[in-house]
Amino acid sequence: MLINIIMVPIIGALLLPLIKCLSVKLRNFCALLFVLISFALSLALVPTIYNGQTISVQLSSNIVFYADGLAVFMALVSASISAIIIFYSFGYISHYENQTEYYLMVVLFFGAMMGLVFSRNLISLYLFWEVTAIASWRLIGFFREKIQVLRADKAFLMTMFGSVLMLLGFISIYQQAGSFDLSVLKNVHLSNTAVILIMAGILSKSATLPLQTWLPDAGVAPSPVTALLHAAILVKIGVYVFARLFIATGFAIDNFWHVAIPVIAGVSALIAAGAAMIETDIKRIIAYSTISQIGFIFLGLAVGNEVGVVGGMLYILMHGMAKGGLFLCAGIVEQNTHTKDITKLGGLIKTMPITATAFLLCSFSVMGIPPFGGFFSKYMVMTSAVQSGRLWISFIFLVGAIMTMIYLFRVFNLVFMGQAKQQPVKEGSGTMTFSVAALAVLSLAGGILIYYPSQFLQLTLQNLPGICK
Amino acid sequence: MSENTLLLPVIIPLIGALLIAVFRDKIKGLRQVVTFLATTAVLILGIQLFKQRLVYSLPWAGFGIDFTFRLYQFNAFILLAVSGFAFLITLYCMSFMRGKEHLSQFYAYLLVSVAMVNGAVLADNLILMLFFWEGLLLPLFGLIAIGGKEAFKTATKAVIIVGISDLCMMVGIGLVWYLTGTLTISQINMPASTLGSIAFILLMIGAISKAGSMPFHSWIPNAATDAQVPFMAFLPASLEKLLGIYLLARICLDMFKLNASSWLSIVLMTLGVITIILAVMMALIQKDYKKLLSYHAISQVGYMMLGIGTCLPIGIVGGIFHMINHALYKSCLFLTSGSVEKQAGTTNLRELGGLWRNMPITFICFFITAASISGVPPFNGFFSKEMVYAGALARNPIFYLGAILGSFFTAASFLKLGHSVYFGKRSRANENVKESKLAMLIPMIVIAGLCVFFGIDNKFPLKNFIEPVLSEPLHEEHANTVLFVLTGIVLLGAILHHLFATKVMGGGSFASDHIHHAPVIGDIYDRAEKGQFDPYNIVLWLVDKFSIILFKADRAVDWVYNGLIVNTADAFSTAVKKFNTGNYSFDIIWSLLGGIVLLIVMLMGLSS
Repeated sequence: MLINIIMVPIIGALLLPLIKCLSVKLRNFCALLFVLISFALSLALVPTIYNGQTISVQLSSNIVFYADGLAVFMALVSASISAIIIFYSFGYISHYENQTEYYLMVVLFFGAMMGLVFSRNLISLYLFWEVTAIASWRLIGFFREKIQVLRADKAFLMTMFGSVLMLLGFISIYQQAGSFDLSVLKNVHLSNTAVILIMAGILSKSATLPLQTWLPDAGVAPSPVTALLHAAILVKIGVYVFARLFIATGFAIDNFWHVAIPVIAGVSALIAAGAAMIETDIKRIIAYSTISQIGFIFLGLAVGNEVGVVGGMLYILMHGMAKGGLFLCAGIVEQNTHTKDITKLGGLIKTMPITATAFLLCSFSVMGIPPFGGFFSKYMVMTSAVQSGRLWISFIFLVGAIMTMIYLFRVFNLVFMGQAKQQPVKEGSGTMTFSVAALAVLSLAGGILIYYPSQFLQLTLQNLPGICK
Repeated sequence: MSENTLLLPVIIPLIGALLIAVFRDKIKGLRQVVTFLATTAVLILGIQLFKQRLVYSLPWAGFGIDFTFRLYQFNAFILLAVSGFAFLITLYCMSFMRGKEHLSQFYAYLLVSVAMVNGAVLADNLILMLFFWEGLLLPLFGLIAIGGKEAFKTATKAVIIVGISDLCMMVGIGLVWYLTGTLTISQINMPASTLGSIAFILLMIGAISKAGSMPFHSWIPNAATDAQVPFMAFLPASLEKLLGIYLLARICLDMFKLNASSWLSIVLMTLGVITIILAVMMALIQKDYKKLLSYHAISQVGYMMLGIGTCLPIGIVGGIFHMINHALYKSCLFLTSGSVEKQAGTTNLRELGGLWRNMPITFICFFITAASISGVPPFNGFFSKEMVYAGALARNPIFYLGAILGSFFTAASFLKLGHSVYFGKRSRANENVKESKLAMLIPMIVIAGLCVFFGIDNKFPLKNFIEPVLSEPLHEEHANTVLFVLTGIVLLGAILHHLFATKVMGGGSFASDHIHHAPVIGDIYDRAEKGQFDPYNIVLWLVDKFSIILFKADRAVDWVYNGLIVNTADAFSTAVKKFNTGNYSFDIIWSLLGGIVLLIVMLMGLSS
């Protein structure tokens, strides 16, 4: 069953060009179906995991798949948001060429993500990591103008730089402990060099200072791609691997890192928030906002106490839904008004009420305003800093959170309120508005029904070796 | 009564809001009927629950975050007050809002607000409370934003100001959990350490910001002009005050056991007095009915903070009594402004005048509540203010002086307001103005009646609602003859001042102009009116400048990748190119050199 979660999307992706020969509609439907199958299979794992068991499947000496609470949670988050984004693509991408390539890459990307999530071996983890890099390189360069190709190269090179360093880090772990298998590596103490090398990979993938600038530049991609890469999956790979290595495996690191990483994350959150306040391109703003929010996730995970880890994981869920919604809303705006410059937009709430409302509600969730899910995750990561006895760290993030409110309102007001500066435009198509509305409603549900994800995470994560007491 | 009943004050309005959102205007009159029924049901519940003591608890998000409602004497009283206001203001809206735009949204937001406020009042868990407390931002944004074309700016301002303070409170709650290990309000007992004081301040910021104290006040005057009158009467004037002061009282009394020797008590009182004086000075010069009231809504919070901040039983009781009194008279005052606006079409003081003949009932309600806010006996405001005075005087005469000075200007500005709206010359446009409809009059009459009742029989609210909040009964006699006389002198002074000013400046609405345009003060007033002292503008300016620096840092990092690395690689390859000219002898030399290096490396490998 575990193998199918990974193999269905990967093999399915490669079949999509053949299916396209039969029917275009069938191709679209199958793309969605493969993701949904993964989702359903992951969901089926929940009862087993919830009862405290784990599942592992060994294919070869270096390929071992393993499902625990962390992995299943991440798989469910990725699969559910990806499914909505692919559904949205039915409307968005239908105007463009190379659709088959698009669906192939998206589903392949998703499959690689599943592989990465369930990997228990550093080598297979690295392999899937690079598959996602290649797929995202093609997806960012989907429109084949010069600028898109350049930006795609930039994203690829920067993340590649990080991941090669990470590979060096993995090799140094191997030299030290003699294995790539994470179950063997439990509680190994890492040298600071190894930590730096691995962090380079993680920070580059999760677009955190000082390796963050590829992410706003990659905003030239189609909006569902940016939603998929910048909000839901790609940028979450880094934080997930952080949790996998330092919390679930419990690599021991010097105490220094429990302060240094939150501080890096805090500075990154502030710088990105400042940039989001100045930029005028709607997608760049939201992309900067992602960098900023990733800082909060790092905070929770790097502080590493129970409330921080659970909060960080919840943050991945809540941020994925809300930020995905924001990108998809931006896609509707961009496609219908043919501009991304927020100073040239205005008054769109009159003609796009659903998009505007969804945008506002998702913004509230990102800001951390209840009853949306973002409230709980923000509270938990902030509290984790307080709980670790370092109140001042939480104040850095408090400033970041305040700036988040201000720049998101700035976008909303400039785009949707005030005087219209253009010819009236239409609301997005049915599939597109449905997708954004669904994400907004999910963000709301995430807050009210917080009991379920929170309870699941607490039960499955509390005994992980990397949790600070 | 089962403990599940505790959920109803939250669920019933939410269901009502959902119904309105689904049907909108498809069924005629549905939204009014639904709102009316829902608020009536909540009122009945509020009355039924008043004597009950119940606890409802469910596990929720973990880490001490439980879904716990607890009803006891203090919040039962707040719940009753909230449901009463919700009911009366809904009744008022039935007539006032007729023919306005965005009605479905208005009623839906109104009901959501009721649900959120009830939830926050009932919650016995800090995070659950913050969940409802901050959730109020949603309907707040909606209610202001539907007020007009540019109202969204005020709505944003309100949400950002309150949102910032709520974020501070979030950190404060984290700190409480760290220090005490629990989030259950009734079990918290905070230490008086440095961290404890920081936690207190963070929580206090949330509480006083909700109540509208300075420096978190500046959205309220904007909202007075942008949003609908019932909104003002409903949230900033009554419900948010009840919430904010309720929490402030709970922090001071239950959670921190603040005592008079603490420096935090001084902080709270100082903030209170500053708020009283600065806001009332702004109120004095306003030329708009609603805006003038809105500054008083800020100023009066100062008395409540002062009272609670004294940490003396008489002051605390006075502060809480003032909270309920203020909610009564201020919401009624806003309702009279709505009544005037609806009938006369304007709230500009220069265009109004002589309306007491046209709108006698509105006038009487105004008279009672204005006297009440000015602290004229025997209305309710007098008694609560006297108690606050007594507390302040016992701490330090300076606080008392600040408070009594505030009272002077309060009285002066209401004399000006009453004079220019209800007396003076009636302009021709106002001659045919009629009295408002019954649905609008009933809420005003009921509230004004309560102001009289709580004044004449002030023992009733004090004994039934407020004194049970204190752990020990209040022994002192409330009356203090010296203070009464001093208050009398101040009020008389205000009347004399008004008579004098009207005579000199020539008209009721000009009665504050001599202060408004006085040297030095006039300049400060002009800057204040332009928003130069608005903390919101200052914060936005700071954030903007800070962002520019941060953005430059981001660009600098980007330059490393887009500039430095690319250029270095370029320079390197250009340099290397020079050695690869295609010249035969060069190539031979390169190959030889390479071969030698390879050889050395291999030899070194062998030897080791």
